[in-house]
Amino acid sequence: MKKVTSCLVILLLTNIFTIALYAQSVTITGNVKNSSTQENSSAVSVTIKGTDAGTFTDDKGNFSISAKSFPVTLVFSSVGYDPQEFTVKSATSKVNIALVPSNTLGQEVVVSASRVAERSLESAITIERVTAANIRNAPAASYYDVVSTLKGVDVVTSSLTFKTPTTRGFVGSGNTRFNQIVDGMDNQAPGLNFSVGSIVGVSQLDVDNMELLPGASSVLYGPGGMNGTLLINSKNPFKYQGLSFEVKTGVMHTDSRQRNASPYHNWSLRWAKKIGERFAFKLTTEIIQAKDWLGVDERNYQRLGTDGFPKAGDRKSDPNYDGINVYGDETTADIRSILAGIGGQAPFLAPFISTLTGSPINVSRTGYKESEIIDPTTMNYKIGGSLNYKLGKGVEAILAGNWGTGNTVYTGSDRYSLKDLKMGQYKFELQGKNWMARAYTTQENAGSSFNSTITTRLTNEAWKKSISYAPDGVTPAPQGTDWYVQYAQAFLTNKLGGQSDYDAHNNARGVADVGRPAAGSAQFKKLFDGVRSIPIPQGGLFVDKTNLYMAEAQYNLSELTGKFADVIIGGNLKKYVLNSEGTLFADSAGKIDINESGAYIQAIKGFFNDRLKLTVAGRYDKNSNFKGRFTPRATAMFKIAEDHNIRASIQTAYRFPSTQQQWINLDVGGNVRLLGGVEDFRTFYNMINNKVYTLESVAAGAPQAYSFTDFNPESVTSYEVGYKGLAVQKKLLIDIYGYYGQYTDFLTRRLVAQSKTGNPADLGNPNARSIYSLPVNAEGKVNTFGFGIGLDYRLPKNFQVSTNLSSDELQDLPAGQVSFFNSPKYRFNASLANNGFGPSKRLGFNVAYRWQDTYFYQGDFASGQVPEIQTVDAQISLKLPKTKSILKLGANNLLNQYYVNAIGNAQVGGLYYVSYGFNVY
Amino acid sequence: MNFFKNKLKTGTLVMAAAITLLSSCNKDVQQFPNSTITAPTGQNLAQVLAAAPDDSLYYAMVVRGGLVPVISNTAIAYTMFVPGNAAMRTFVNIASGGAIPAASPDAVHSNFIRTLLPVASAAGIVSYNICPQTITSAAIPTTFPNFQYPSILNPAPSVSALLRLTTFPSRRSNGAWLNNIPLTAPLDLTAANGVIHHTAAVNAPPSIYLWNKIESDPALSLLRDAVNRADMDPTAPGALRGALLNIGANLTVFAPDTTAFKNVLSFLSGGLIPANAPVANFSAFIGSLPIATVKGIVVYHVLGTRAFSVNLPTTAISTPTLLNGAVPTHPGVRVQATFTTIPGFGTVAATATVKGVVNATASNITNRDNHYLNGVLHVIDQVLLPQ
Repeated sequence: MKKVTSCLVILLLTNIFTIALYAQSVTITGNVKNSSTQENSSAVSVTIKGTDAGTFTDDKGNFSISAKSFPVTLVFSSVGYDPQEFTVKSATSKVNIALVPSNTLGQEVVVSASRVAERSLESAITIERVTAANIRNAPAASYYDVVSTLKGVDVVTSSLTFKTPTTRGFVGSGNTRFNQIVDGMDNQAPGLNFSVGSIVGVSQLDVDNMELLPGASSVLYGPGGMNGTLLINSKNPFKYQGLSFEVKTGVMHTDSRQRNASPYHNWSLRWAKKIGERFAFKLTTEIIQAKDWLGVDERNYQRLGTDGFPKAGDRKSDPNYDGINVYGDETTADIRSILAGIGGQAPFLAPFISTLTGSPINVSRTGYKESEIIDPTTMNYKIGGSLNYKLGKGVEAILAGNWGTGNTVYTGSDRYSLKDLKMGQYKFELQGKNWMARAYTTQENAGSSFNSTITTRLTNEAWKKSISYAPDGVTPAPQGTDWYVQYAQAFLTNKLGGQSDYDAHNNARGVADVGRPAAGSAQFKKLFDGVRSIPIPQGGLFVDKTNLYMAEAQYNLSELTGKFADVIIGGNLKKYVLNSEGTLFADSAGKIDINESGAYIQAIKGFFNDRLKLTVAGRYDKNSNFKGRFTPRATAMFKIAEDHNIRASIQTAYRFPSTQQQWINLDVGGNVRLLGGVEDFRTFYNMINNKVYTLESVAAGAPQAYSFTDFNPESVTSYEVGYKGLAVQKKLLIDIYGYYGQYTDFLTRRLVAQSKTGNPADLGNPNARSIYSLPVNAEGKVNTFGFGIGLDYRLPKNFQVSTNLSSDELQDLPAGQVSFFNSPKYRFNASLANNGFGPSKRLGFNVAYRWQDTYFYQGDFASGQVPEIQTVDAQISLKLPKTKSILKLGANNLLNQYYVNAIGNAQVGGLYYVSYGFNVY
Repeated sequence: MNFFKNKLKTGTLVMAAAITLLSSCNKDVQQFPNSTITAPTGQNLAQVLAAAPDDSLYYAMVVRGGLVPVISNTAIAYTMFVPGNAAMRTFVNIASGGAIPAASPDAVHSNFIRTLLPVASAAGIVSYNICPQTITSAAIPTTFPNFQYPSILNPAPSVSALLRLTTFPSRRSNGAWLNNIPLTAPLDLTAANGVIHHTAAVNAPPSIYLWNKIESDPALSLLRDAVNRADMDPTAPGALRGALLNIGANLTVFAPDTTAFKNVLSFLSGGLIPANAPVANFSAFIGSLPIATVKGIVVYHVLGTRAFSVNLPTTAISTPTLLNGAVPTHPGVRVQATFTTIPGFGTVAATATVKGVVNATASNITNRDNHYLNGVLHVIDQVLLPQ
């Protein structure tokens, strides 16, 4: 790979120096301004009418373009302005243009809906677009937060820098039903199965636009986009040039509820330059540093395998307390066996002991809070760039890369402290006028990331063993130095002393915990750091160096098929190389390859003067572990009048089980193991001869053998209708949709138990059984439905009111199955903004309000009711045109109203910042 | 600049208004009521005892033993077995070596307890009659023979913090007892930190082991010899003596008196040793008998539980002996008692018998309920024959 890269660089450099040989014609120069503010307008497209020749204005609004003869007509266009034409008769004088800002809605061009450019108003499927201008004027500190203001979007916040957007339900930190595609590259960490857009991806200043496709969208974007796809596109260095930077400094934890008030830093920089007509490059970087939000849910949790619910009780009142964001207390044991052992040695106490042991005496070890084990500093460093070269004939070659590293916290089956996580995405792309070819790779390295629960549990063991075992590792051989032995002895002594259960337990804990390393002490740090540097299962480190390689191409055949229909075809090859050295996947014997391939075709035809536009598309995919699958889609857009469009679609989407759902093999503690669904596991764990039983039947005391069924990709068929149109003198944009989705072979997890002794009679004993969490397809069909209404109104003087309401619901989930639907029934956004008012229109502001309904959150880490959430974000900004600067004062969660959007996740409070931006366009 | 100021003011005001409108707080995740531990209210055991007129002498002993702070602690639950003043007077009479007649005024008894009764004795007796946790009289098990329950008296704290002398509450349809002492009204006097039951007599803690008794009592010398002979078993040398000296053991020994031994040994000698021969002859004869035979007979006289006479059933039942360790199917011995009620005292065994399978008649328990650290010893008038 390295060799190929260096060859490409040499090739590109060679080309740069041959640029001089090109372009021998007359040069027209000029400048473009905003007619309203008189600011120079950068990134304005300047083309010579009737030709392919074109350029963009630079960061000072200047342009130069070559013309072969005169007169020529120059066409100036830019998002948010009315296009303008200007005829140049000779090259002698400078061309000065003042573009008039347009106040029309719904005119922006979107690409992702059908992979061909079209007006968003006329898209046949629901699409939302966020532009750089939206991001610039948004109150959100991070552009990822802007997505959450779009209709139908939910965002799960694992921590300050780890946010996962989703549409149409099934919200989670690691969402495998929602694609995030950055400059054409799938941003999902191939081994960890979460999208890392907010950690590794485009820097804030480099975002050109984001397009959100809610709903099934895998036909054009590959398996995975069951619920939606977010496409993030960065700025092309030919178009956006110059140096830009932004320095944002803020404060968090102002009320000292979680920590003392602490600073937030976010610095980003982008530098792009065009050298000659053919070559351009860009370099971007961003650094974020802050003290993270904390998981502070210390409620007691009732665990059954990976399922459970919060319940009453605390460390004092429940000897078996297991706090949600408290780690190490997942280790639990019934001390009756130890008490019985004491009774055997001291028979005179046996009758008394028998009065205590009528029911299990489950005791958990003493845990540590999240704040005590996870590095408080969240850090994120991104660097990226591209080399773009125009090969001629409209072909542009792009060599680009994004690399990021940092510390953050992610919630999956556990809270994972991602420490020094490194991920890089590198691509080589050729873009022709009607074709595209791209090859990229995602290189993942989990760094020193560790699993909080496993690490803390093993830290407890490293300090004092819970219980000793005989050399066979199976037979308990309790020693007087064991924590549980000390606890049980002290408990019995306390009971013999007449103490209540409450006192007897708490005092026994005090005895067993004598000398327990205090959080933050050198002793604790030494033990903890020792454990977290050893790979799972002996330690808490997870090693993950899984990589993804992908190649894809697309061709637009419209020039050939235009008479009949506009046709595009495309295809891709994908290869995952799982490499966790046995710490996450079943790959202790070596790397595991998973291959996927797919191809798609789409035809668009307009009828009745394009008043009706029909699109049909289909896609076929094959994965080395699964049978091939065809997914079709059909859409229709009907223009009932100018600026009034009705859309309807039937879309299918599906996804192969994620790499983890195929190959994970992770002991999550408490005798629970997460397994992948491939058949090899059934043989390896001898499930054929030593049958597994459904955990709920085991819990009910009547074990029923679980019979395996085929493990299939899941699919969804989504029916959707919508309307998008303009009203009130084109000042009101209305967007409405309603959908109904039906999931088949819905992927979920099921808990089964297997007797360790081979005798099913032992299943009732928690210590004599293994629990497996198996990915399975839900029986029957699961249905979802919902709607969204969005209204955007342009008021006079640049004021804009936007509001949207959306709803998602799930029905027909078979009893006893976990859906992870995790979506509020209703959510509502409203904002009032102005990006230019006051003298010289230099002031701007934006106030955004969001409300979402309460909902039941289900996760492998924790489940429970999430209360309703209200947040207010606000910013006020001042432009200083002379210095091309913008000052901003903003707040996320202005009222500092803490909330969580997933049980066990960080509780998010207010973030207040000031920023200075230079040349931010 | 004024414009900015004004706009800022207006903007701030508008924002503030909007924020106030929206300012209903985000709720925290569902919280559960904290399980509060409410301290018990009402009088503690010491107060209840001090206030009961018929417990004044025992309370004096609690004071003498220094245990008032212990039973005043409302964080700790105890069950106390308390002899009333009548029982205490009898106790003082004995403890004073008869110097204080039982009929003396309470002040005399009280004075003796407060000044002359050794503190250690007072503390020992009171501690032995305090059990941890609350046991209501209805909660005392009715199973044979009784329920071994630790007191708070640790005879050797330096050996183990878990060491305890145990008491043996029991209950039947015709009464309830602590060891062999009837429980009497009032029962179940509730205090904030426990419960008080009354006993018909002072239940003094044992101080020596079964073997100490067997070894030293001339009337049991042939039993001693038999045990020593049985302990010559090369596979388990000294095992019986070990058990009889083990604090952890819990035994009932039916101890045949010398006459009983003489009778059976004379029979076994085929009459060579007449039943009225000197003890020494029988002692020597035991030494000549097969070890297994002697051991079989000895272990047939020992139960692995501690059965006081009051624990024996009115209808004879078979109960296993230590012989069942070697012969699991052996029917054991049959035990039985008849009961009588002594007014002002309670129900006690009138007669008690134990019968070996080969014996034609049951042996009478002639001297019952001799209580030791690791068991109870009943003297019987026939050797029990297992086969």
